Amino acid sequence: MTDNVVEFRKATKLYAGVPAIQDVDFALRRGEIHALVGENGAGKSTLTKAMCGVVTLTSGAMFVNGIEAAPKTPLEAKQLGIAMVFQENSLVPSMTVAQNLFLGQEKFYNRLRGIYISAQQFLQSLNFDVTPTMTVGLLGAAKKQMVEIARAVLHQAQVIIFDEPTASLTPEEKNYFFDLVRSLKKRGVSIVFISHAIEEALLLADRITVLRDGKHVVTDDAASFDRARIVQAMVGRDLSNTLYGTRKTEVRTAGERILTVHNLKMAPMVKNNSLSVFAGQVTGVFGLVGAGRTETFKIVAGVLKRDFFHGGEILLRGKPVRYRVPASAVRAGIAYVTEDRKVEGFFETMSVARNIYLGVLAKFPRGRFFLSSRDAQRSSDNWTSRLKVRAIGTKAKVVELSGGNQQKVVIAKSLAQEPDLIIFDEPTRGVDVGAIVEIHELINGLADEGKAVVVISSYLPEILALSDRILVSRQGKVVEEFSALEATEEKIMYAAIH
Amino acid sequence: MIGALEDFLDRVLGRGAAAITVPPFDGPLKPNQLLESAEVLAEFAEPEDLADIGDALYLADGPTLRRWEGSWAREVRRFDRPITAICGLPGGRLAVALNGAEIRTFASVEGTDEGKRIEGHLHAVNALAAGADGKLLATDGSANEPYQEWVRDLLNRGRSGRLLSINPETGEIKVLASGLRFAFGAASAGNDGLVSESWKHRLLAVAPNGSIRIALDQLPVYPSRIVPASGGGFWLTAFTARTQLIEFILRENGYRKRMMREVPPEFWVAPRLRSGGSFQEPMQGAHLKTMGVVKPWAPPRSYGLVIRLASDFSPLFSFHSRVDGENHGVTAVAELDGALYVLAKGSRRLLRLSLSAAKEALAK
Repeated sequence: MTDNVVEFRKATKLYAGVPAIQDVDFALRRGEIHALVGENGAGKSTLTKAMCGVVTLTSGAMFVNGIEAAPKTPLEAKQLGIAMVFQENSLVPSMTVAQNLFLGQEKFYNRLRGIYISAQQFLQSLNFDVTPTMTVGLLGAAKKQMVEIARAVLHQAQVIIFDEPTASLTPEEKNYFFDLVRSLKKRGVSIVFISHAIEEALLLADRITVLRDGKHVVTDDAASFDRARIVQAMVGRDLSNTLYGTRKTEVRTAGERILTVHNLKMAPMVKNNSLSVFAGQVTGVFGLVGAGRTETFKIVAGVLKRDFFHGGEILLRGKPVRYRVPASAVRAGIAYVTEDRKVEGFFETMSVARNIYLGVLAKFPRGRFFLSSRDAQRSSDNWTSRLKVRAIGTKAKVVELSGGNQQKVVIAKSLAQEPDLIIFDEPTRGVDVGAIVEIHELINGLADEGKAVVVISSYLPEILALSDRILVSRQGKVVEEFSALEATEEKIMYAAIH
Repeated sequence: MIGALEDFLDRVLGRGAAAITVPPFDGPLKPNQLLESAEVLAEFAEPEDLADIGDALYLADGPTLRRWEGSWAREVRRFDRPITAICGLPGGRLAVALNGAEIRTFASVEGTDEGKRIEGHLHAVNALAAGADGKLLATDGSANEPYQEWVRDLLNRGRSGRLLSINPETGEIKVLASGLRFAFGAASAGNDGLVSESWKHRLLAVAPNGSIRIALDQLPVYPSRIVPASGGGFWLTAFTARTQLIEFILRENGYRKRMMREVPPEFWVAPRLRSGGSFQEPMQGAHLKTMGVVKPWAPPRSYGLVIRLASDFSPLFSFHSRVDGENHGVTAVAELDGALYVLAKGSRRLLRLSLSAAKEALAK
C-alpha cells in the first residue's frame, strides 16, 4: 500500500475560466499533520473542497490510497474516509448538537433519547463540554467548532480536513484542540490543517505546503520552516515587520467621548458592563470567548436588546439612546462589522455591488422605492478600489470571493454608511496575511480621520498592534483598561483570566 | 401628568432617571496605582485640608495649623475647635474655617493673634479659596448637617449647600448659589466661581450675576476640593467613588430611613473615606476576592482619586488609589515645586507625587 493516503497530480480547477488552482501536486502521508498555508485566494479551500467532493477537478487526478478517485459529492468522499470541518461551520442551527452529530446516519426508527445518550457519551470521550440537547444556533463559535470536530471524528474518517479550526477558539481551547489533533494522529488519522496563524502551523504540523495564486510553491518538513520563510513563500514579499512585528511607540490622544455604556445588562452574557469609546482612537476589546464583548457591541448597534428591566444606559455623544433595530443605529452613525460574515455580513448570492449598496440603503428610513443600479455600481466601484477587493468583477457573487475579499465587502458595506463609530468584530478572522495588512491599514486610517473605532479581537498580537487603548473583558464586563504603551500579552491575559 | 407617568414607568423599568447607572472609570480617568504608590511623607491625627501659602505647605490637623518643614510638620497656630478649611489670601494672609461655623482671617499665616471673625448663618464651611477682586470664596456644605456628618447629608438627600462670596474686609457674605446638593470645594475660574456639587457628581461654574452652568458632569466620583494647577487648569479631588449600590439605596427611601434608624452609622450602606476595618462593613456583591486578593476593580466603599482638569474643565489624567489600596478619601491637594502634595484623609496620610515622574509613568 502506498504511503500517501491522498495525492493530487497536476490538479486544476477553473471557475468561469479563471483558475482557482493550477497544476498543483500535493501528497498527504498516512498519519501526518499537514498544514496548508497561503493567502486568501491562494487555492487552499479549492484544493480541500476537491478532496472532500464539494467541487470536482477540471483536470488532473486525485488518488486515495493509491487508487484514482474523483468524489463528486461529500457523501462519496465520506465513503472514501475523507471528512472536512469547514471554516464557516456547516451545522444545522435549528437542530440540536446530537442531531447534528448523527445527521446522515439516521436509522429508519430513531429514538431521540438514545441519540442524546450516545452523543453525551461520545462528547465526554472527547472531553468536550457541549450539551447534546442544546440547539446549535444558541452555541458560541467555539462550541460549534467542537461539534464540527466531533462529527468528523464520529464518522471515523481516515482523513480530516480542518479549515481555519482555531479562528474562534480561545488560547486554552486552542491548546486543547492541538492535543485532540495529536491524539487523532496517533490513531493513524491524517490531518490537513488550513490556518492563517503561521505559528500554529509551525507548532502543530509535520509538513507544510505553501500555495500562492493557485499554484504550489513549496512543501517541506515543518522543522525546516520559520515564520519569515513561510510569509515570504506565501506572499512573495516580507511582511513580518508590518503585521504584528512592531510595537506601538505612541498612541493617538482621545478625542470627543462618542460612546458611553453604563452598567449594561443582557443576561446571561453581559453583566453590568461599562465602557467609553473616544473619537480618533482605536479602542481594542480583548476577552476570551463568552466574555460578552460581541453582545455588548451588538446591543450598542441595535442588533441585540439589553434587559428590559434595569438594562443600563447607552449614551451616544452624551445622549441616552435605545435602538430597537440596527437601522436606527446606522442612521445615528454606528456601523457594526460582524464576526460571522457568512450569516450576518452579506447576501452570498447577491453581487458585490448590490451587497455594498445595501449599506447605503440602510441609512434610508423606509428604504428607497426605486433602486438605482448606477448608484450601486458607482458606490461599489469606489469601495472595491479603495479596499482593493479582488474579484472577477463587481457583478461577481460574494460567495465566489475568498474569505479576505468577502470580509472587505462586509467592511465596505459598513463604511458606505459613513459612520462615526465603527465596531469591527474579529475583523481578520479567517483572513490571509496580505488582507490582514490591508484591513489594519484601513482601521488605522479611520482612526486617523477622527472616527471612533472599536476592534474586538481574540488574537492578542492583533489587539496590541492596532489599539491605542485596550479594554479587557471578563465574564460580561470590562475589568481592566491598558494603554497600548503599557500593555503586554501577559498583562492582558492575566486580566482576562483572573 | 405625562411626566409623572414617564417617571413611574422609568421607575418600574429601571430607565431614565431610575436607570441606576454609574459612569465608568476610563479614558482620562483610567485607573492606575500612582496615588497608592506615592511617597508617604507623614501620618497625622485628624488631617483635613492643605494650602500652599507663600511657597510653603500648610496643613490643617484637627484644631492645629501646621507648616510642612520637609520632614516634619511644625505647629504654627492652634484653635479651640477643629479646622475644616484653610486657604491663602493675597498679601500672605490666611483664612481658616473653624468647625464649619466660623471663618477667621489673619494678616499673616503664623502668629498668636485671634484674627478677624466672620460669622453669620454658616453651618458646614468645608472649603475656602481666594476669589476674584480680593473676595473669599467658601462652600457651606449643608445647612442641615454639621460638616462631619456628610454621610447623613448624602443619605438624607440634602440639597442645602451654598457657594458664598465673602468680603474679608467687611465680613459681608453674598450667596452666589444655593440649594446645592452638598457644596464641597471652591475655586476661582476667571470671574466665575467654581463649585463642586458632590451629590450631583459635577462641577458648576457660577457667574457673578448668579447664572450657573455645568462645567463638568457625569463624574464616577463624589468631587471635593479644587485648586488651580500650574500651567492652567485645576486639580480636583474626589473623596470617594460612586457605586450602583449607593445609587440604589438613595432611591429607596423607606429602606434608607430604617437603616439610619436601626444600624450603627459605621455599618450604613454608604460611601466612606476608609474601609476594610470590619467584616461587618457592607460590601457590594462584586467586591471580589480571588485567592485572598481583593480585585482592584471591585465596586468601592472607599477610593482615592485626584483628577487634573484642563482650563476648559475637561479631565486630562488622574491619579488613583483603587479598591485594594489604602490612600483613600482624598480631600485636598497642593502643587508645590513640581510635586503634588495629597492629603488622603481616609488613611490620614500626607503623600507626595513627583509630577514629572507621574506623567512619565502615565505616558508608558
